[in-house]
Amino acid sequence: MSSLLAVRELRKSYGHLDAVKGIDFDIAPGEIYALIGPNGAGKTTTLRMVATILKPTAGTITLDGHDVVRDAAQVRRMISYLPEEAGAYKNMKAIDYLTFVAQVFFAERDRVERAVSVARQVSGLGERLNDKLGSYSKGMTRKLLLARTVMTEPKLAILDEPTSGLDVLNALEIRDRVRELARQGMSVLLSSHNMLEIEYLSDRVGIIDHGVIRDTGTAAQLKERHGADNLETVFGVLAGRVRADADREAVAR
Amino acid sequence: MRTFMVLVRKELGELLTLQMLAPFIAIIFVFMALGNVISAAGDTDEPTRVVVVDNDGTAESAVIGASLEAVGLTVVPVQDEDLDAVVTREADSAGLYVVVPEGFGASLERGEPAMVQVRTVMTGFSFLGMRGGAEVQNGLAAANQSIATAIAARHAPDVPVALLQQPLTVENQVTIGERTAATSAEAVAGFVSQQTTLIPIVLFIVIVFAAQMIATTIATEKENKTLETLLSYPISRTSLVTAKMVAAGLVSLLSAGAYMIGMRQYMAGMMSGVGEQSATDAMSGVMAELGLTLTTADYAMLGLSLFAGILLALSIAIILGAFAESVKAVGALITPLMMTLMVPYLLTMFIDLNSASPLLKWAVLAIPFTHPFTAAQNLFLGNEGVVWAGIAYQLVWFAGFALIAAKVFSSDRILTMKLDLRRKR
Ligand SMILES: Nc1ncnc2c1ncn2[C@@H]1O[C@H](COP(=O)(O)OP(=O)(O)O)[C@@H](O)[C@H]1O
Ligand SMILES: [Mg+2]
Repeated sequence: MSSLLAVRELRKSYGHLDAVKGIDFDIAPGEIYALIGPNGAGKTTTLRMVATILKPTAGTITLDGHDVVRDAAQVRRMISYLPEEAGAYKNMKAIDYLTFVAQVFFAERDRVERAVSVARQVSGLGERLNDKLGSYSKGMTRKLLLARTVMTEPKLAILDEPTSGLDVLNALEIRDRVRELARQGMSVLLSSHNMLEIEYLSDRVGIIDHGVIRDTGTAAQLKERHGADNLETVFGVLAGRVRADADREAVAR
Repeated sequence: MRTFMVLVRKELGELLTLQMLAPFIAIIFVFMALGNVISAAGDTDEPTRVVVVDNDGTAESAVIGASLEAVGLTVVPVQDEDLDAVVTREADSAGLYVVVPEGFGASLERGEPAMVQVRTVMTGFSFLGMRGGAEVQNGLAAANQSIATAIAARHAPDVPVALLQQPLTVENQVTIGERTAATSAEAVAGFVSQQTTLIPIVLFIVIVFAAQMIATTIATEKENKTLETLLSYPISRTSLVTAKMVAAGLVSLLSAGAYMIGMRQYMAGMMSGVGEQSATDAMSGVMAELGLTLTTADYAMLGLSLFAGILLALSIAIILGAFAESVKAVGALITPLMMTLMVPYLLTMFIDLNSASPLLKWAVLAIPFTHPFTAAQNLFLGNEGVVWAGIAYQLVWFAGFALIAAKVFSSDRILTMKLDLRRKR
């Protein structure tokens, strides 16, 4: 498997707190890879490092042969990041916001226009694009931001909890769009604490807890390996083993 | 450069919203309105009333009333009454009372100086309210002269009246640099301070406004979670920081210009209200003679010094803004900056740095923000070199803080740095 993104021995500490404790994973072109785990597991920290906005304490991240820290400028042209609970400029019209981002990425007018038309199509917001972002609902904002994320046709889209806080219909729509874009060749790194949605959305899953990836595989592989019928149970088993490990260490001491 | 312009445009769009601009538009209107109100209040052609209590009833005492009338006051004559009784009876509002006591004419007859009393019943301390007082003094001076003329004519017909009235005249001269003009030091100091009093207020407001503005844009980006996205775009962090500063700097300069216009309106209103336009014009001539005028180049330098101050404030505020978790926190965060601004603002208003003790002088000069505040004075005095040095000094500080700002924005700190003011207690 030739990988687009390679993460090796990645660590991040905030002062005394080790948020990510040495993780490895790969993402192939056109693949959707999901990091799932509870709140505080280290998902956002990992995604931020891949998105070049935090610097790893140790380890490497390579995108298409470029080191994320050393070649940040090149990497930023190939990725697109949708932060957790991201917002938008409330005084801007949606269409102006999309144009602004497109102009940041592209110099050529036709490239800008293409990006905006991709966003128009992906967002499905139609006429509402002429409204100010301050008037948007949470679902609309999320759809717009997802459209903004993919309109630059990045090699890797980094989506932090793309459907969290959305109602069922909006979440379904977002998932369908992500699937379709991956089918067209875009790789996706996403995070979620909703294990059920991940079964539907991702090609491969990394189960992360306390800054460590406990297991990786397709949803089917993970369920089979741990004798569970859904990913939530898999996580329960893995988390249980974590506790058992800790107990054993405590007893040994 | 293209991306940079895209960014500047976005920042300007964010800044030039009604919420951001409303407070300072309001202030400009307040100043203009104030100027108009003052001008209107001063324009009332209604002459000031003065009650003249004549308890003497001689030809000499009649001169007093006539002289007061001659300077344009409306004289209300009262005969043979106690002043306190008159005041109690009149007690409508602020009033001017002149009392010519009994025996006034007689003492002049005897060749002794006589006395008149002036009482002002004050109900406030406003500048405009005092106008009548000056007119009464002028009227009494005129009375003095006409009585002196009469006495001179009677007792020393051979001596020229003018000699008796004023044997000694004083010609004041003021020298500044290499120029000398016939005027008094008080007049010059008064004029300069009158022309420059409002400059520090404008400087203070504009610099604080700039700082507040840029810290708010950073805090808003954090609060609305747009900063993370912005940081992941293919833009250098330096352009990001610079674009924000350029946009905020432009808006601040614009606001400075608007304030200046508002202030001028206010000053013009003041001047016409106080009725000192002709005096101001005469004084302007003297100031030109002394070289104490601000040329267009001087104004440009003043603007440059202010711009350097704005840039410095922006570079500090952008760092302070990085600590803010929310827009609400901005006020508290820029307090230290406001303090450093307050010191030169107040000190330069009340003390003359050039005559202060060397320790104090250099300590105040070391605060970079002192320089825009002293620029106008220095330009009046023709110390261009000092102003240039002040601009350069501010730019050195700016370069330092801009470097720190760029560092903060290119490191994790922009996302992880926060000041929990509660936890520190
Ligand atoms: N800026 C920060 N400063 C200090 N600790 C942080 C910071 N950001 C996250 N953490 C901590 O790092 C750990 C991982 O957080 P995060 O990556 O946000 O987890 P997740 O996204 O999986 O919920 C948590 O314990 C969190 O409290
Ligand atoms: Mg998270």
